[in-house]
Order: sequence, then structure tokens, then C-alpha cells
Amino acid sequence: MATDLHISPLGRVEGDLDVRVMVDDGVVTDAWTTAGMFRGFEMILKGKDPQAGLIVTPRICGICGGSHLTKTVYALDTAWRTEVPPNATLIRNIAQACETLQSIPRWFYALFAIDLTNKNYAKAKEYDEAVRRFAPFVGTGYEKGVTLSGKPVEIYAIFGGQWPHSSFMVPGGVMCGPTLSDVTRSIAILEYWKDEWLEKEWLGCSVDRWLENKTWDDVLAWVEENESHYNSDCGFFIRYAMETGLDKFGAGFGNYFATGTFWNPDEYTHPTIEGRNRALITRSGVYQDGQYYEFDQANVREDHTHSFYEGAGALHPFDGRTVPVDPAEGQKQGKYSWAKSPRYEIPGVGMKPLEAGPLARQVVAGKPDPLPWQDYDPLFHNAVTTIGPSVMVRVMARMHEAAKYYKLVRSWLDQVDLHEKFYVKPVEHEEGQGFGATEAARGALADWIKIKDGKIENYQVVTPTAWNIGPRDGNNVNGPMEQAFVGSPIADTTDPVELGHVARSFDSCLVCTVHVYDAKTRKEMSRFVVNGNC
Amino acid sequence: MASLLWFQGGACSGNTMSFLNAEEPSACDLVTDFGIDIAWHPSLGMEMGENAQRLFWSFARGERPLDIFVFEGTVIMGPNGSGRYDLFADRPMKDWVTDLANQAQIVVAIGDCACWGGIPATAPNPTDSVGLQYLKRNKGGFLGADWRSKAGLPVINIPGCPAHPDWVTQILVAVASGRTADIALDDLQRPQTFFKTFTQTGCTRVQYFEWKESTEEFGQGTRKGCLFYEMGCRGPLTHSPCNRILWNRQSSKTRAGMPCTGCTEPEFPFFDLAPGTVFKTQKVFGAIPKELPEGADHLTYTAHAAAARVAAPKWAREDMFVV
Repeated sequence: MATDLHISPLGRVEGDLDVRVMVDDGVVTDAWTTAGMFRGFEMILKGKDPQAGLIVTPRICGICGGSHLTKTVYALDTAWRTEVPPNATLIRNIAQACETLQSIPRWFYALFAIDLTNKNYAKAKEYDEAVRRFAPFVGTGYEKGVTLSGKPVEIYAIFGGQWPHSSFMVPGGVMCGPTLSDVTRSIAILEYWKDEWLEKEWLGCSVDRWLENKTWDDVLAWVEENESHYNSDCGFFIRYAMETGLDKFGAGFGNYFATGTFWNPDEYTHPTIEGRNRALITRSGVYQDGQYYEFDQANVREDHTHSFYEGAGALHPFDGRTVPVDPAEGQKQGKYSWAKSPRYEIPGVGMKPLEAGPLARQVVAGKPDPLPWQDYDPLFHNAVTTIGPSVMVRVMARMHEAAKYYKLVRSWLDQVDLHEKFYVKPVEHEEGQGFGATEAARGALADWIKIKDGKIENYQVVTPTAWNIGPRDGNNVNGPMEQAFVGSPIADTTDPVELGHVARSFDSCLVCTVHVYDAKTRKEMSRFVVNGNC
Repeated sequence: MASLLWFQGGACSGNTMSFLNAEEPSACDLVTDFGIDIAWHPSLGMEMGENAQRLFWSFARGERPLDIFVFEGTVIMGPNGSGRYDLFADRPMKDWVTDLANQAQIVVAIGDCACWGGIPATAPNPTDSVGLQYLKRNKGGFLGADWRSKAGLPVINIPGCPAHPDWVTQILVAVASGRTADIALDDLQRPQTFFKTFTQTGCTRVQYFEWKESTEEFGQGTRKGCLFYEMGCRGPLTHSPCNRILWNRQSSKTRAGMPCTGCTEPEFPFFDLAPGTVFKTQKVFGAIPKELPEGADHLTYTAHAAAARVAAPKWAREDMFVV
């Protein structure tokens, strides 16, 4: 099948990422990210059943498959103009949040923290303690964190049958009809996870005590407040990160965006694209040069100037075109990645690369004027405006969400009305277009669907990994991760663990092959694989 | 110590994520209690760059014995048979697979993609993806129909999208602890201990199936009925232990009201997701399911169904999974 050279831009999902960086006097001066593996999901979806995305898109990424399902179902809800009963919204919220609660310890211990045991840190005062806690498979924190990370998705399985890869959210609601036992078991599992991992291992204090921290100074004072905080995995991580300099690099542009997630069940019974921002609990928004802006999906663009697709320029995903070129040809035109470069057009400001992810969400959470049901949280806006963004701050934003989402899930479980509906059968319109978005653990995730003659005419998925690892755009502006590499120190060019920290702090959905070049000799110094997941 | 190397081709990492949900035994138990040396894994390995490549080459060249080679994801052949759409550690992944599979005592394919191509191989199969020893139901795949590992075995297929973690960890422990001979494979090279039964075996809806009572809609509608008649459930046609070894220790899709999509069978996703096939039972004459429980024929099935409906007790028409 010679035509199969022409595939969809699946560099934005689970796959391989090449990163090239220039190093000058031990500091990264420039970087290029190249997405390298393709599976052709958008191409597979064309011409298929309108609901095919419910089965296919979770399989784009096994790590955030539940998030794929969430935004896919909202794309269909908006396209088919369904009614979604409040119970269904609650169950969707619970499932989406539980996937993220699973991801937080799993990502921290299995993917991020094992680098803290890298021999490059052997001189650190607390190195032996880092090894004791974080060594793969046998570290005390590792074993407990990874094993207990399976607990929140037990709740997912109670409502969705299994995790990963359920398709239990459908236009008009959810497939399950939960019983009292389902809700009670879910609460018990959630509380167990909170007690055994979140409070006992990670925080060393109650969730409520942690959430009293409103500024970075509060966090630092919290660490020193007592031995329990100081010696928790969280307290230890903050101390070790500051000792090893993880608070000093990996900043990136400092510009962020979130599509938001979780819906007020009473405010989104008839999902529309226009009504989405208002109904959100964890808000959407854009943060550029210290200013907040409203998020509007109409302002999203995908630039493909440096991507292996015909032509150049930027299009809205509804009009997204994916005509691949042979990489050998593309390279002659200066193209270097299969990922497109998602950008956001801020009215009156211009087209901007924005970082997606937990830090982005938590900065947006500091946006003024929330509606009564919306999350307002100033902590990470304070952090980025005082100590500035870094690998450490990005990690802490992610870990902070464990406490917040735990509280949300508990409240939603308490709100489920078992005697009311979980589904309203929709009319399966032959035509329509829809937009659905959520926040995967690692950032904003959205689908744009066009349905014509009862089948999918066009389907575009824009993932957080594409937002973060996409290449330069038509204005030659770096992608967010490319920019975050700039300024990183490299202590040992044969083992540049710092680049691993930056890449993994984004939790990009990739197994990244990083090539390090010396800016003077242009000699390739080392090559290594950054282990990563969605 | 049994050495294990785990690679991902055209994969979503779903089987890895599923694997990390394991408890009996857990992923950490494999290392600490069962003596499996997980030499490298794309999401879990420590080694990077040159160190990782040295490790891979030492296995690939046979300098270091490889007991178990686990592969997750499709083998990507495109473009034009070059495999360049999936480059890993500076060469096409398919070339690593050739070298490592041929050095391994046992090769285990985890998940549909590695077994038979899975979703990436759905028409139009943009990446020219194949499974290790099958493409959909056709034997051959990447390694060829007659290929055998050093221990003389074909690829052990543990399908599912994803595979259940306990299927994975229990087979790995069996292999590592010298019980390979106990693993009897079916004609699709799946361990019979897991795949002889049907997804329906142990389904809580089986009484509704017996009396031919259908679920009428999702949500509150799944408080009663069987999902086979209207919702496209493939439970009676699919081999898996999903209702014997529960998912995430809690439930299964069919128990939770979601139709089985047949994801342990080579044809998944069925009908290539053509319009009208998703969560809808395909029928003949507008009433009789086009595909019947395995081994049944339309004539006797129709008679049996008619009799069952007449004989159905009153409770079989009522909600059973009530608040």
C-alpha cells in the first residue's frame, strides 16, 4: 500500500519524539523536537460510524484513554444536540478525574522520579534518601505509589467496566445504571487511596491542611512546619528539587492555556460549544504575558509550516487538512516533524504557542471572577509570578491536583441521584459538527468532528502533547517544549538527565529520542531515550 | 532470574498501563517476588541513550541471554515495507523485533496490536501495521506462520484492547518459573486457561440472555436485560475471561452496561466501524441477530429463542440491578 506513506499526523500522540538541542558552554541554546511515529487514527476515522471515535480515540493513548473518551463524547453531544442528564455529567466527571488521580502517582514515581536517582546527583546531600524512596520497582515510595495508583481507576471500572479503554460514555449520557453498592464501594476505594497514598505517603498531612497553601511561601513554610511534612515524599521532593536545581530551569515561555474540564451537572444538560465555558468547574482560559483571556475554540489553529504536510500556514481544526509529504521531500522544505504546531490566535495580540498541562490549568485557576461553581485557586499563579516556572513548579502543579480532584470526586459521588436518569436517548442526526474538549492529566485535549450523510466527514484530534512538543510555526517561533529546553544546564553531556527532567515534566506522550549536539563542533555528543508516556 | 525485555511498536501504551494495574501479582512483585529481571521497558527502564542501546544490542547479538521478549503494539511496515514510520534507537523497530524475537526463548505478544494488528490495522491500515504472527485472522504476520522461538514455541498471544493485567503477569510468572509446558494454546495461540471461556461466561446478565430479554436503552435501561440483542454485545461470540477475572478487581464492561466489543478476537474493531455498526446489533429480517452465539445455527436458534420468550418468567422482564 504505497499510499500508506501518507498518514494522519499522529506524531501528536503516543510515539517517538526526537529532540535535538544545541549546547554552548554547558547550557542549551536551541532545540528542535521531531515527532517520529504514526498510526493514522484520523485517517481511520474518516467515513466511519459517527460514534466510531468512542471506540477508536481512547486507543490513541492508553494513558489518557478516558480523557479521549470524555472529549469525544462531548464532540458528539454538541454535534447531535443531545440532552445529558445531571447524573451522567457527574459520572463523566468522576471517571475523568479518577483517571487523572491514577496518573498523578504513577507518573511521578514510575516516569519522573526515577531520574532523581541518576548518578549525576550522587553528590547531593540527600542522594541516598532519593534512591531509597524512588529507585524503580524497589523504592519505598515507588512500590507504594505505583501499586496504589491502580486504586482510583477501580472507581472508573465500577462505572465504566474497565480502565483503560472503556467506551462507556455515549451521546446522551453514560451506559451504566449504578446501584447504591457501586457508589458506596467507590467512596470506600477513594478514601482508601486518599488515606494510604495521598495523605500518608505524599503529603504527610490532611488534604485540607495542604489546600490552605495559597502562595509559594506558604508551601515553603508548610515543608518546615513539622517532621511529617518535611519527611513526606512531597516535602522531600521540594527539598531535593531545590538542592539539585530543578527550580532553576525548564521554564519555557510562561504562557499557558487550558480548555478546562468537569461540568456543573445543572449547567450543561444541553451541551453546546457556546455554553461550555460557563458550565465548566475547572475553568478554561489563556494566560499570555501576564494577562488572562477567555478561551474560544474558534481561535485555535494548527500550523503545519514545519510539519510533513503539503503547504504552509495555519488552519482551524474544522478545516484541518492533512496531506502528507515524504519526509525526505519535507526536509528539503525545512519541515522536521510529523506533529503539527497548534497555536492560539489571541485577538489583537497574535498567534501564540501556549503550554498545556497541569501548570497551565493551575495558572488559569487563578483567573479572577469565577462563577460560584468554578474553581478559583491562586497558588500557582503566585508561584509563576514569584519564583517563576521550572521543572519543579510544573511537577508540583500536577501533584497539587491530587488533593483538589480528590475533593471534587468525593463531592460528585455524594451528589449522584440513583433514582434519576443516567441517559437520554439522542436523535442520531445525519449532519452536524461538534467540539469536545477536556483536560487529560497532561493537558488540554480536544476533538473537532464533522458528520455528513450519517458518517464522519472529518475528524481532528489536538492533543496536549502536540501543543507542547509541536515544532516551530510559520513565524519560526519555537514550540513550548523546544523553548523549555533553552537555558537548561547540561552537567554531563554523555548523560544529560536535565533534558529528561524537562521532557518528563511535560509528561509528553512519547518515547523521546534525544540527540545532543555541541554548538561549536556540531558533533553529536550523546543520544538517549527519554522514557515517556502520553 | 529470567531476563525480560519489553518493547513497544505502534502502540498506545494501554497494555503497559493495564499491566501497572496488576495486583495478583503486581508489576513490582514480578521483580521482587518472582525473580523476573525487567532489563528494560519503554516507560519504566532506567537506562538511556548509549547505555540503553548497548543493552539492546547485547540482547540482539545474543551476548546476553534473553528469556522473555514482550512486544506491545503493531509492527509497522510502512512506508513501502521500510518500517521507517517507527524508528527506535536509530533503526526501524521492525528490525529490532526480528533480532530480539530470534534471540528470545519465549516471545509474548501483549494486546491486540501485537497479536493481530488491532486498531491501527483497521482499514485503510495507514501504517501497514501487522501483528507478530497474524494479520487479523490470517496467520503469518511479521514473523511468519512457521516461526518458532528458541524454546520451540510460536508467539504466545495475550490479546485484548488492552490485555487484562493478570493475564499478563500470570503468564509471565508461568514462563519465568518453568511452567511454560502448562500453557496450552488455542488455534489463535492464546493461552486456553484464559481464552477457552467466553466473555459471557460469568456475565451477570446471563439469565436475561437465557430468556431472551433485551436491554432497551443505556443508562438506567441497563438495570435489566442482555446487551446482545440490540446493543451489539459480542459476549457470546468472544473468548475471554472478562467476567471470571474481573477488571480492576471490580467489574467488567458487560456488567457495567457496556456491550462487549469483541476485543480479544482478531477482527476487532468489528465491521471496520462502518456506519450503523457501533453499539448496534446487526440483524437479518430486522429481528434475528445476524451473528449468533458461537456454534449456533439460525434455524434452531430462532426456535429456541421463540420458546424461551414464551417460557420467560415475569421477573425476567423486570429490572434486577436496582438501586
